[in-house]
Amino acid sequence: MKTKRAQAFFNWVTSHYKPILILSFAAFVVSVVSLPKLTKDTRYEAFLPPQDSVLIQRNAIKETFGLKDPMVIAIKNDKGIFNPTSLGIVDDLSEKLKKIPGIDPDQVRSLSTENNVVGTDFGILVEPFFESEELTNSNAKAVSQAIDNFELYKGSLVSKDKTTTLVIAEMLDSYDLKQHEVYNSLQALLADYQHDNHDFYLAGEGAVSGYLIKYIDEDAMRTNPFAGLVIAFILIFAYRTVRGVVIPNLMVLASVGIALGLMAFFGVDFYVITNGLPVVLIAIAVADGIHIMGEYYELAAKHPGLSQKELVVNTMLSMWRPITITSITTIAGFMSIVFSSYMPPMAFFGVFGGIGVATALVYALFMIPSALMLLKPQMSKAFESANTIDGFGKFMSGLGDFVYNRPRTILVSAVLIVVLGFFGALKLKVNEDRIANFQSTEPIVQADAVINSKTEGTSYLDVLIETPGTEDIFQPHNLKKIEALQRHVETLPKVQGSTSIVDFVKKMHQSVNEDNAEYYTIPDDEALISQFFLLYSASGNPTDFDNYVDYDYRLANVRFRINSGEYLDEKIIVEKTQDYLDANFNTPTIKATQSGKVALDVHWIGKLGQNHFTGAIVALLVVLIVAALSFRSMAGGVLTIVPVLISVLFIYTVMGVLDIWLAVGTSMFAAIAIGVGVDFAVHTVDRFKYLLAEKGLSLQQAFQEFFKSAGRALLFNFLALTLGFGVLMTSAVPPLNRFGFLVAVAVMVSFIGSMTILPAIILLAKPKFFITHKN
Amino acid sequence: MKFNTITMMAFLLAIGFVQGQSLPDGQSIAEQTYARNEGNSVKRKLIMELTDKRGKTRVRETTALRKYFGEERRLIIFYETPTSVKGTAFLTYDYPDAEVDDDQWLYLPALRKTRRISASNRGDYFLGTDLTYEDIKLETKISRDDYNYKTIGIEQVDGQECYVLEATPKDEATAKELGYSKGKFWVDANIWMMRKSESWDIAGNPLKTVHVTDIRKVQGIWTLHRIDVQNHKTKHKTVFRFEDIDYSTDLSDDYFTEEALVDGL
Repeated sequence: MKTKRAQAFFNWVTSHYKPILILSFAAFVVSVVSLPKLTKDTRYEAFLPPQDSVLIQRNAIKETFGLKDPMVIAIKNDKGIFNPTSLGIVDDLSEKLKKIPGIDPDQVRSLSTENNVVGTDFGILVEPFFESEELTNSNAKAVSQAIDNFELYKGSLVSKDKTTTLVIAEMLDSYDLKQHEVYNSLQALLADYQHDNHDFYLAGEGAVSGYLIKYIDEDAMRTNPFAGLVIAFILIFAYRTVRGVVIPNLMVLASVGIALGLMAFFGVDFYVITNGLPVVLIAIAVADGIHIMGEYYELAAKHPGLSQKELVVNTMLSMWRPITITSITTIAGFMSIVFSSYMPPMAFFGVFGGIGVATALVYALFMIPSALMLLKPQMSKAFESANTIDGFGKFMSGLGDFVYNRPRTILVSAVLIVVLGFFGALKLKVNEDRIANFQSTEPIVQADAVINSKTEGTSYLDVLIETPGTEDIFQPHNLKKIEALQRHVETLPKVQGSTSIVDFVKKMHQSVNEDNAEYYTIPDDEALISQFFLLYSASGNPTDFDNYVDYDYRLANVRFRINSGEYLDEKIIVEKTQDYLDANFNTPTIKATQSGKVALDVHWIGKLGQNHFTGAIVALLVVLIVAALSFRSMAGGVLTIVPVLISVLFIYTVMGVLDIWLAVGTSMFAAIAIGVGVDFAVHTVDRFKYLLAEKGLSLQQAFQEFFKSAGRALLFNFLALTLGFGVLMTSAVPPLNRFGFLVAVAVMVSFIGSMTILPAIILLAKPKFFITHKN
Repeated sequence: MKFNTITMMAFLLAIGFVQGQSLPDGQSIAEQTYARNEGNSVKRKLIMELTDKRGKTRVRETTALRKYFGEERRLIIFYETPTSVKGTAFLTYDYPDAEVDDDQWLYLPALRKTRRISASNRGDYFLGTDLTYEDIKLETKISRDDYNYKTIGIEQVDGQECYVLEATPKDEATAKELGYSKGKFWVDANIWMMRKSESWDIAGNPLKTVHVTDIRKVQGIWTLHRIDVQNHKTKHKTVFRFEDIDYSTDLSDDYFTEEALVDGL
């Protein structure tokens, strides 16, 4: 009955092939016209949904204190930077930066733009550290001394060994998604900027975001065509015909084009990991085509007299079921990422990956038979007649004999992998580091290392201090609390320094007392502190303290500088800081909240581990349900998920051994490996059921039959997937690289498992499901 | 005598305008703004309202005394609110010669000490406002020494005829000192007060707009009552309001001394 309906359906498709082809083409064109609208978002904030409360608060704090993720240029001179030449360079570079489009000229900070605060016999002086026109050796020496006396800038603006100084530039808000343009301008500026004995380094969070946009673009230009090439190569090997290569490739093109086109149409941003999506889709989508074309050529070889329409309809009749089931399980894998991921980049990866696979299925069911109708029947050299088999077929038959003879050995190995896998999973390390998005040889990585080793670092933890009333921040006991917080957090590992309004208060207190270091303290008089700020405003800029205190003197921001961007470091700092805040702040008169990149990182990366395991479990369950329903047997369902379960556990062992972090890229591997890898088991179980229960073959006969035909097609399916995901290993983006590696290995394990463990179980356990169906 | 000259010049200028002849040159307009009667001394309440880009406002009420000692201008400001700065006082001696640095002092009651403030750039911001020391010194005058002017037309500001002047600093050093690369002034064609100005920063970005309003005669002297400054870069805003203006009381010289800073009014 069902077969009859399917037959009617494919008769209809093959009779209306022209309109179907036109529609297929139109759908593709309509989708891809949106592609140019695609915008890239590489900021770390993109990992949190816009409605996330921590992110909302973070943005409010950024707004209040005008905090941004800066571009940081380090100027290094091993002989020291306190000489007229080096300081001249600092000044020149600062002035040039101010003129770069996208840079906020008022937010360039360096030795030449920042003010020194000094006490004199008769008052307080707020003035630049130096005037570029009056640079002499003695002036340069005076700047060096001024920095010695200015706690705030020691280590943050100038390295403690005085060989490195920073120029920190912030971008205008209007350039939020165009950091790469600013980055490119800075890169170009520095490329032409040569001075003897001086090295220049460009890093900082803004630079990382900017460079990532450029970096993933270049990477995509390399990996996507390469993946296409690899797939074409496999198809040539499998069928050795033009249509065998072209038709599946058209389907792949539609899958990728429509998925990305819809992404652009719905205004979904392109994130770093989205870069892996086209390659993943290329590898997955081609599978349907491989199976259909394989069946087509096999039929053509077996029944040379059939018309093209008969050939196509018969091909589709035997293939629609398995490719539909495998597509559904793959979509299930993607969907479990959607349901388990809190982070938009991953959730959207799942959504549009699912859409891409669904598109591939629709095109496989409609477009492929229609396209074949344009052509005449054809034979493939790979399938010369029904009885000859090629080398690939022979190889698979050999594997079948091995499994038939040693099923116990295979099962014992499987059990071993499972046990090791559990240990691996326990050792799994959730970690992430933004700079690890680049190859270690990239200049930005080296720049980051130099800046982090020479200065106090460019990774920031911000702590927002709130008091109830105007000028309450000036109350000495509040300032003392902030000071104690700074001293405490500075003792935590990797925290190198901090800045708050307290540091300025102390500096001013010292300045009005003839620069006597004994007065580098918080005065016990609130009115005096207020008056310091009035005094400062007599010669300083009204916006000088914007980053540290709000206009009412009710809110303050404490910024801690950390020289590591690694999650495991950040986590310890944030947790210990929270303990301190819980114990010492959060009273009715003073409240403190953590924010900044570091706190944000800990907030979202902390969810990675849980999201990963939820995703893997959901994927397994969905795949189990789909398999059990389609085979109408729980035993069949359970059997189907055995190979993928083993493959995921095996990967945990691999990650443990190779010390691969469970990070943004890698955390998605399990759900996808399950959704994709289960295909082999679906085909295997489906085929064995057919051979044993419907055709009534003996186990030995079934083994022979299975390995040489279905086994051969699965081998090519496996090669396409592994090599396709393997292409990601050539990616210059390490997270994608590792993601590709893990999925490729997982797919390999799934394939081997489906070819060995599954038949071994069938052989030893002889499940009723296979044997007693039609008898 | 002086008055007659001004009237004559104004009359001649007006005729020039009516006949559609060439506009008066900028330098002579600048001179006119200096010739205006400002009263020898004045005592007034000055309320400063400073608003940041998020709309948070600081209000400071002060009493400001100003007196001319020949061409030298002395100004003393006594802070009354908020309480935390009550008793703080600021004194400045502005010397006519731009080469001579002005003298400034600030008295901090909590410290019980008078602090001398460094000889600031003319382009530095005045006590956290959006006006620079130079702006404060000039009030509604336009500088006769710093710019090359070009009169580009006549426009109405608040219903009054104003000459529109384009100003470029005489040289780069002046531009850097003032913090302006370009200026545009609207000078009232009848009473020679600047009613509006726009300025651009050194990089050529729009910097700020100053708007002088509520100009009316007090004790026979044309007097401004309000200045609004909008900083376009920082989005910071300053409003100066002047109240209880009194030109008639002769202010003793003793008000403009370091002792007065400490003693208060």
